[in-house]
Amino acid sequence: MGRTVAATGEILAWWVLLTGGWLVLIGTVDPLECFVGAGSALLAAVAARAARRAMGER
Amino acid sequence: MTGWLVAASVLLAAGFGPTVWGVATGPLERRVVAQNFGTSVVCLVMLLLAQAYARPSYVDLALVLAVLGPAGTLVYARLLAEDLTDDPPHARVLTAVAASAAVVVVAAMCLATGAGRATVKLLLIGGLLVAGNVIASRALAGGFPKGAAASRD
Repeated sequence: MGRTVAATGEILAWWVLLTGGWLVLIGTVDPLECFVGAGSALLAAVAARAARRAMGER
Repeated sequence: MTGWLVAASVLLAAGFGPTVWGVATGPLERRVVAQNFGTSVVCLVMLLLAQAYARPSYVDLALVLAVLGPAGTLVYARLLAEDLTDDPPHARVLTAVAASAAVVVVAAMCLATGAGRATVKLLLIGGLLVAGNVIASRALAGGFPKGAAASRD
């Protein structure tokens, strides 16, 4: 249970960071951009956690 | 001819000219430091040109260069590690110059741009430039011991 909460928390933190980065770097902010950005950021957040764990376990 | 264009031209001539010379001639230690410095200079020139020509899309080039420049230097640091161990290049002055120039240019552009998303983007580029310079310079100087990398392999 604790592990799930930790994993969710980490992915959420990555997601907030990456979505913020997306919103800062795009040209015009509209709903479609936000949707695509939030989706991509979620995928990237999962990948970021996987990469962080792969580095940490070595 | 605006001040931004003059600043970009001066930086290109005074910064990038000697850099090309440094990359093309001399010992390996100097070449690798010069190519690292070159990416920072071109990145700052792109920022200044974006302001001079009022073309915000040039800022994206600077952003890409701020990320890929130090990453490229880290690749060189890794590939040339054996050649650089005898006399690792210490470029503290050059790193300080590049970092200071980045701070000055980004601060000036932030003042000219005003508050908004563009300013956050500029600050991000500035942070990447300074951090990238410090990390790349430290890696070239052998600051990251080989043992740490070897234990991971």
